[in-house]
Amino acid sequence: MNDLHIPASQSTPEIRTDSAAGTLLMRGDSYPENSFELFSPLLGWVQRYLAETVQPLVLNLHLLYLNTSSVKVMMEIFDNLEEAHAGGRTVSVNWHYDQENERVAELAEEFKEDCSFPFNIVQQ
Amino acid sequence: MELLDLHALQQTYNAQRILLCFNGPLTRSLIEEIGTALRNYLQSANTTASASTDVFGAYIEMTQNIRHYAASKGWEDHEASATVVIARDAEDRYVVSAGNLVDGADGDVLQAQVRALAAMDKTELKTAYKTQLRKPRDEDSGSGAGLGLIDIARRAAAPLACSLRPLPDGRAFFSLSVVI
Repeated sequence: MNDLHIPASQSTPEIRTDSAAGTLLMRGDSYPENSFELFSPLLGWVQRYLAETVQPLVLNLHLLYLNTSSVKVMMEIFDNLEEAHAGGRTVSVNWHYDQENERVAELAEEFKEDCSFPFNIVQQ
Repeated sequence: MELLDLHALQQTYNAQRILLCFNGPLTRSLIEEIGTALRNYLQSANTTASASTDVFGAYIEMTQNIRHYAASKGWEDHEASATVVIARDAEDRYVVSAGNLVDGADGDVLQAQVRALAAMDKTELKTAYKTQLRKPRDEDSGSGAGLGLIDIARRAAAPLACSLRPLPDGRAFFSLSVVI
């Protein structure tokens, strides 16, 4: 399946998927005005990967500031993972943060509250 | 043309401790450019990473709310005018304020929303945030401001403050202010 390699912009994170390895990387800030339009290829990739393969999926996140519409997109991605996990799929999230910015850890922590799959918040 | 009294402007800015202000039509790229200037300022003022994120986050949600509102009304880009001010208060806290034109009835709804949020404690705000986050996308497109306003309230160090000034044409000028 086609992978995504989207470079970061001022208001959007770098996105890299690797379907052979079963990984998705997101790095940077995310505050575009129209998050759903911008992230629909990413949502599509996650849904296709989960539907068309049986391999595990690992999300490696180095996200910093997210505006509320980006938060909604991330919640939708985690909901997809949650559903796959309920169906017996191996999925996990590693959210890396800099100890200087506790807001990032708090944000990740709130997402984690609603997820039952392995969700690791990793201090760098 | 009358010469601009820059000295009077400077006196006002200094007295109100205004670091950055903008008045006019907001575009997507302007929001980003001003945001970058704001971040650079915060960094040079040695603001902690958490406070910087909160000030920047309040600024982004307020300005994007204004753009979404104008778009929901079918207003042109040049009608999405806003007055945005970032200042510091007597206790050295940051104050992010933004004002824009709204339809009178929308202004009343907004004011009621802000007052309800201002009365909530941190736990209630978190519950309200998670409830709003779980609402289907199209259901909250009516106001659009739902999640953004709660997010701003959660970053605030004091209850949100707002005002509504009715104008003769049935519209009103809505102002929102948050202390970080």
